[in-house]
Amino acid sequence: MNDLARRRLLQGGLAAGALAAVRPSALAQQTTTLKVVWMGWPDNQVLPLMAEFEKRNPTIKLSVERMPFSQLFQALEVRLNARSGDPDIFIVDSPLTASYAARGHLMELDSLIDNNRFSAGGLAAARFNGKLYSAPFGSSMQVLYYNKAMFKAAGIEPPAPEPAKRWTWEQVVEAGRKLAKPAENIWGFTFEQQERPYQLLPLGQSLGGKALSDDGLKATGFIDGPAFVEAFTFMQKMYTEWKISPPGQFDPALTPELFGSGKCAMLLGGTFVYDTLKSKFPNLDFGVAPHPYFAKGKPVTPTGAWHFGVNPRSTQKAATAQFVRDMLSDDMNVTWFKLRPYVPTVKAVWQREAALFNTDLWRIAQSELDSTALPRPATPGFREYEDILRVTLRDLQAGGNVAQALTGAAQKMDRELAKYK
Amino acid sequence: MNARWWVPFAFLAPALVGLAIFRFAPIVIAAVGSLFGTTLRGESVFLGLRNYTELFADPSFWSTVSTTLIFNLIINPFQVVCAMGLALLVERPTRFVHIFRASFLLPMTVSIALTSIIWAIMLDPTLGPVNGFLRWAGLPAQRFFRSPDQALGTLILVATWKGAGYWMVFLLAGLLSIPKDLYESAAIDGATGWQRFWRLTLPLMRRPLAFVLVADTAANFLLFAPVYIITNGGPNGATQLLMFEAYQAAFAHLNHGRSLAISTIILAIILAIAVVELRLFRPAEGSA
Repeated sequence: MNDLARRRLLQGGLAAGALAAVRPSALAQQTTTLKVVWMGWPDNQVLPLMAEFEKRNPTIKLSVERMPFSQLFQALEVRLNARSGDPDIFIVDSPLTASYAARGHLMELDSLIDNNRFSAGGLAAARFNGKLYSAPFGSSMQVLYYNKAMFKAAGIEPPAPEPAKRWTWEQVVEAGRKLAKPAENIWGFTFEQQERPYQLLPLGQSLGGKALSDDGLKATGFIDGPAFVEAFTFMQKMYTEWKISPPGQFDPALTPELFGSGKCAMLLGGTFVYDTLKSKFPNLDFGVAPHPYFAKGKPVTPTGAWHFGVNPRSTQKAATAQFVRDMLSDDMNVTWFKLRPYVPTVKAVWQREAALFNTDLWRIAQSELDSTALPRPATPGFREYEDILRVTLRDLQAGGNVAQALTGAAQKMDRELAKYK
Repeated sequence: MNARWWVPFAFLAPALVGLAIFRFAPIVIAAVGSLFGTTLRGESVFLGLRNYTELFADPSFWSTVSTTLIFNLIINPFQVVCAMGLALLVERPTRFVHIFRASFLLPMTVSIALTSIIWAIMLDPTLGPVNGFLRWAGLPAQRFFRSPDQALGTLILVATWKGAGYWMVFLLAGLLSIPKDLYESAAIDGATGWQRFWRLTLPLMRRPLAFVLVADTAANFLLFAPVYIITNGGPNGATQLLMFEAYQAAFAHLNHGRSLAISTIILAIILAIAVVELRLFRPAEGSA
């Protein structure tokens, strides 16, 4: 071997050695871990989604922390108010977008999101002061589930699936009174989320009520107005006078159990309940019908659901941007829809999975989204507004003067909303 | 003076440092923080006494104070009486006394959060086994935590189930430390059981009872988990206690200054009541 060849061999060996020495640390630098706070949905609805993201993005690892619904918002408050970069990504209940954005907890996402790919409703819930702050990852719609066997046994004609033939609340109560046997713990009707404004605001809105002022900062004169007093008095009677609804079932996981186990004949629940009922209660014969409305009012349905956001203090800018882009891709949204069927906000999902949407459930959902869906009030103080109203609605089940309770709640809301003026 | 005067302080130092960091510092931080507010972007703004004046002008705050005081006026004596009763029951060395002592202590080993969840399920008006039993026995089902009339009482019973066994331990130690020859002398003098209890046991139990009452008062003023987990302060404010109000202000209504003001007021109330309780239980002049 001549000198030149020996020198080249030596150089090559040194270079290879240097590369070998450098490679692990270089690779380590390339791998980023994102801390993600997510809703506490079951393993099989979350882990496959995260695994697919990691597979598509091998240099990004996800450290996912799931929190139960009842503790999610309080835990996020504590974490976000520390104003550090932890977590990098967090799940956002869509009406809280304004609250987080106003307090500097959400990064603007306009440069990462192509508006044309999303439904108008999804984007509207993601905006604050004209800018996009949360990534629309799903919307929601409520339908009326009914137990066919219980209806047949009581000799009641069930509600039709056509929105034009939707039942009124008065019809729900009439049927509920025939179906309920409170002494035997058998009930006629239940809301899936018995205390949540999300589900109960449409009662007052159906009677023409407006839940909050246009600027989102005044509740007195709105939530305590005659429409909501009448609507929530009606709701209260379901528990206290007509006794068609099981009181105190505030855990949204329990009400589908009541319906599925044949202890409640009707459930007003989300589209996502459908798969749960099918898998947990395979022998349950149930149908779906559109959301009820008051005979003298108009149909109004709730909408909005889960978005996610980026912590502006996160130091992993490139990885968080990739998370937003990839999680909002058509493929990932199809995966997400199949794992947990929220109403898709990505338009392409409706076209790509057209066969899946050819059912009563999804025909109703689509129709409602086009004609009756009304998002929750847009206010930076939604967290406070929702909590005060939630406790009030919970209390109303136990009786008491509805007008007084709502007036008291509105005053508390105004006190808390004042800080956003 | 002893050259090693610092030795006791050296031994006490770790505990004192812990006490300063984990007890006194948070009290000072809370008291100072109650004079500030927080902007939307998280910056602190000095408000003086505004958090307090707003609280005092708020009828819902006074309603919470009233509920908290009623709750404590009932639960504190009730728990002490229950704990004393249990201590007297298990004081005598009967055959199965160890089993009883252990079973009364068992609730202490269950966390308060778990206790709350268990009792929320047990007393659920619709699905709970207690109402299932009542229905089976032909008795009317009760609404327990869901009734404005029953919720506070149910909360007191659950908190007592959890706490009475714990306080029993302190009172049992007190009872066992009373010299037996005093009882023998009293028996020889013809004292009845009731007289022995009233004239001998109770006066000699002043110190343990004072400790238990003061510590129990502090614990019950700070009770939070069952309200948070089971009732959320309802129905209709029936279980709205000050600690829960402080929590709501901080984490639901994002008003930290108000929350710290409520915490400081709770501390002031506990201190005032503890002073009164200690005075009431102060041994009479000339007694041991």
